[in-house]
Formats: sequence, C-alpha cells, structure tokens
Amino acid sequence: MPETSPIKVVLVDDEAPARNLLGEYLSAYPDVQVVGECANGFEAVKAIGEIRPDLVFLDVQMPKLTGFEVLELLDPGPAVVFCTAYDEYALKAFEVHAVDYLLKPFGRERLAEALVRVRARLRESVPAQPMGPAAARLSEAARPAGRWLERVLIRDGVQVNIIPVERLDYLEAQDDYVAIHSEGRTWLKTQPLADLAQGLDPARFVRIHRSYVLNVERLAKLELYSKDSRLAILKGGQQLPVSRAGYTRLKELM
Amino acid sequence: MLHPFVGTRARLGLYLGTWLVLGVLLAAIPWLTWGLTIAGALCLMVPLGLLFGVIGLSALWVCRSAPLDRTPALRLASSALGASLQASAVWSAAATLWGVVLTRNNVIDASRQEILLGVGALFVLGVPLYMGSMVVHYLWLTFEASRQAEKRVLQTEVTAREAEVRALRAQLNPHFLFNSLNSINALVGSDPEGARRMCESLGTFLRRTLSFGARETITLGEELALVDQYFAIERVRFGARLNVERYVEAGAEACLVPPLLLQPLVENAIKHGIADRLDGGTIRLAAVVMEDRLRVSVENDVDEDAVGRPGEGVGLENVRRRLDALSARETRLDTARESGRFRVTLALPARRAAGEVHA
Repeated sequence: MPETSPIKVVLVDDEAPARNLLGEYLSAYPDVQVVGECANGFEAVKAIGEIRPDLVFLDVQMPKLTGFEVLELLDPGPAVVFCTAYDEYALKAFEVHAVDYLLKPFGRERLAEALVRVRARLRESVPAQPMGPAAARLSEAARPAGRWLERVLIRDGVQVNIIPVERLDYLEAQDDYVAIHSEGRTWLKTQPLADLAQGLDPARFVRIHRSYVLNVERLAKLELYSKDSRLAILKGGQQLPVSRAGYTRLKELM
Repeated sequence: MLHPFVGTRARLGLYLGTWLVLGVLLAAIPWLTWGLTIAGALCLMVPLGLLFGVIGLSALWVCRSAPLDRTPALRLASSALGASLQASAVWSAAATLWGVVLTRNNVIDASRQEILLGVGALFVLGVPLYMGSMVVHYLWLTFEASRQAEKRVLQTEVTAREAEVRALRAQLNPHFLFNSLNSINALVGSDPEGARRMCESLGTFLRRTLSFGARETITLGEELALVDQYFAIERVRFGARLNVERYVEAGAEACLVPPLLLQPLVENAIKHGIADRLDGGTIRLAAVVMEDRLRVSVENDVDEDAVGRPGEGVGLENVRRRLDALSARETRLDTARESGRFRVTLALPARRAAGEVHA
C-alpha cells in the first residue's frame, strides 16, 4: 500500500482509560489515524463493518461479546492486535492470525513493535486469511472443558444476533453456510455445519443427516419414509430427512 | 474381602507363624498327658493349630457385628460365648476326623476312647482360645477406629487450612493489578494528579490486604473500608458504569469477621454486575445485626441471558469453605437470583472485640 495513505484504526475496549492510553500513544504516529472507538463488542462489529479500518486494537474481556466473538463476526480484512490483561489467550490470538498480543500494562516501545508488525502485515500482498470460521472454532475452543456452546452468534449486516442454543430448532448445511432455524426464522452463518455442530451438547443436538442437525426437544415424531430412511416431523410441522446413521444416533439418545 | 491380619504376604506369614508355634505348644498336651510320641503329637496338633488360626479369623466379623461401645454387656457375652462354642465345635469335629485319619495310618496309636477324651479336651480348650482371638480383634478394631478418627481430624484441619490459603491467595487477583496498572499508565498522560491518587489508592489497598490477611479477625468496618478502596480503584476503570449503594447499620461495623471475607464477593459483583454489562449497574452492600446474628449481603445486577451461572464460581466456594472452617453450624451462606439481581447473604454470629455477644 502507498506510504501516503494513513492507517485507519478502530479501538475496542470497554474501559475508557485503556482507549485513552492507546489514543495517546497512537497520536505520536502521523500516519496512524484513529477513526473509531468502541466500548463493547456490538459497537465494534457495527463500526468495523461500516468503517472498514486497516487495524483494530481489540480487548478480549468485554460485556456480551468477547474479542474472539467479535472477530468471529467480522469479515476478513483488518489486522488485529489484541490488548488484554490476560495472558492465557495469547496462543489462541495467534491462531486466529492476530498480528500481535499486547499485555496490559504496556509502554510505547511495545506498541511500536506491534506497529512494525502491523505495517509488515499490511504490506503483504496476500489477502488476510479468512478469520471468521477460524475464530469461531477458537471461541469454541475457549469454552471451559465439559461445557457446551450456550449461544450462537450471527451477524446480519451490522446487526449482531445472539441466539441461545435452546431456541434453535435445527441447523442445515448450505454450501459454505449453515442455515440456522430458530423459532420460525432462518439465519445464515458462514461456518461449516460440522464445526458448529461440534460445539453443541450431544445430549440435545443430533446429526440426523449429513446436512441436518436437530434439536431433539423439537422432535414430534418419526415416520418411515423408505427402507433406509425416515422423516423427522418437528413440533413446528417441518419435515427433515433422517439417514440410517442418523436414526442410529437418534435412537441411542432416546 | 480380605482379612486385615492376612492382607499382605508379610502379615500372612507372621500370622500363620504364630499359629505354627501355638500348634507346637499344643502338641505338648497329648505328648505329656496321653503318652504320644513327639512326632505323633506334632503331626496331630500342628495342622490343628493352623486350622484354628483360620477359624480364629472369623472373630473379626463377630466383633464387627457387636461393637464394644454399642453392645450391651449381656449381648456381648452371649455373642462371644455362642461364637466360641460354634468355632470350638467345628474345630473339635475336625480334630476327631484328623485323629481317626492319623490312627488308621498308624501315625499315632490311640483308642477310640482316647480320641474322644482328647477331642473333649480340645473342645474345652477351643472356647477360651477363640475368646482370646476375639480380644485381639477387639483391640485391633479399637486401635483402627482411633487411628481413623485421628486421620479425620487431621483431614478436617488440612481442608480448613487449604481453604484459608486458597482464599488469601485469591485476594491478590493479578488481573486486578494489571488492569489497575494500565489505568495508571493511561492517567499519567491525561491526568497526572489522578495517576498519583490511583497509585496511593492501590498502595493502600495492597498494604491493608496484606496486613488484614495476617490477622485472625477484623471488624466489619475495616473490611468495608477496604471494599471502598477497591471500588475507588475500579471506578477509574469503569467510570459511570460502576454505582455503589451501602446500607450499614450502626451496630454492624464493630462486629468481628474473618478478614477479606467480602472481597471475593465484591469482585464477583464487579465482574458479573458491572464488567459483563454494557451499561454497568449498581452494587448494593448491606449489613445488619439481628438477634445476635450479623447478616451481610452483596447484591448486583445480572443479565437474564448471561452465559454461565452465577453462584458456582471459585470465589463463592472459597467464602463458603472459610465460613465452614469457622463454624459450619453457626454460619450460613445463601444465594438468590430474582428479578435481574443476584444476591449473596452471609450470616454469622455477631461478636464484638471483647468477645461478648451483642444484641
């Protein structure tokens, strides 16, 4: 990228002093321009979607949406530098291709190092790796052991929807997307079905077919369809195909 | 279930060895009184001695079914006598058979009458022998029970100490320090006076935390002052998102409490009621004394759709353990979640500095 165009930066941190500090540090760089400040994940998803900055400084622990969840909801593009007081997420941060990981408190020198890495990343001609699905995998990996996904995050334009898993009816694979059916509405999420299904409690969600994952609480009855396949009739009336392997899994659960 | 006397190879050897020796001693009786040869007497009595050793092990179950401290003397005596007669009868029957076998094989030379007489003697001998075995078993059971009790006491002590250590270690939450240092770092540029104040607050908070942690008890007033210091530091981070309301009854502040008992609860309240909420919330502290009981509650807003269940965290568990270590009977910890708020209430005896109970 040409040296003349400034690096557009969005700061995301729920604590004002932390944002002020970054703003102050960055004001020393004439080619860096802070174009947005966000105090939570929702604002961040909206602002980053609209402004399309080159660089985002992202806190991890924030209300409602963590930094990793914000990343999961973003289109690939901006370079990301995590800023947090917690060192336990460092490995995950690099797995979602974060450029750097600043541990609070940090000084000007440490920020300067991060900016060197950012410039190197921005100069790379290769487009940034799509980070949405990777981040989704990792925010799942960040789940405490033995606990399943409690909510699914979906971005609809700049709007973020949080769907608790108990409100899910079923998931449907559609090419690179998952169609998420919940209480009569359908949402699309860019993530392979298998990845999303992996995070769901197997005592409540069953892969009844290569393309379908069912919330068993929604099942009304099963009907024989042909020799090897059945139909699942949902309480809402929808009909989903059940493969032989899917039927075996369903039977094991019930 | 393996009998503890013979549970290991060494014990089995020792036990059987003892009965081997007793068998040899028993052989003296037929040798001296009925004129058997030494070899014959040994052949007769050593196996019978070992057999009694095996029969004697059954005393464990007899002793267990009639524990010394919970069985009336009469029942104890009757069970001991009954078991001894049965054991001795089994032993004498075996002795009869063995005596006949040895006679037929000409190992010993005895008439039927002599055998019967000898068996009668053995039957009489078997009763006190079995009772002896019961005495040994009772001694062992008593010893074992006191060892178990001692172990339990130690275990309780260790648990209490561990809870204490964990609780104190948890006080110095490193992330609180990191975030505070970051706030100071930010203030240095924009508000140097504020940075100085923050350094002072943080220093005071740490110093008090350390000195309180070393004490057995502190007054609730001291604890609440520390909590205030903590709120002052966190207010720099959270600004208007953090609101605090306090209701502390006049009599409550002088009550003695274990140090830093409220700290984990207040940290939880900040985390769930302030940090995890977009617009923050209000933390309510209340302390009242009612009927010799001090009741302290910490209450915070909580999101209806919050991920994770408050009330199962490490901080709360620590407080619960510390109260249990203090007195499981006299203290209580209750949690309630209603209409968007989460409340933890502690109740403990209201004690004042002099130790007297205050109404």
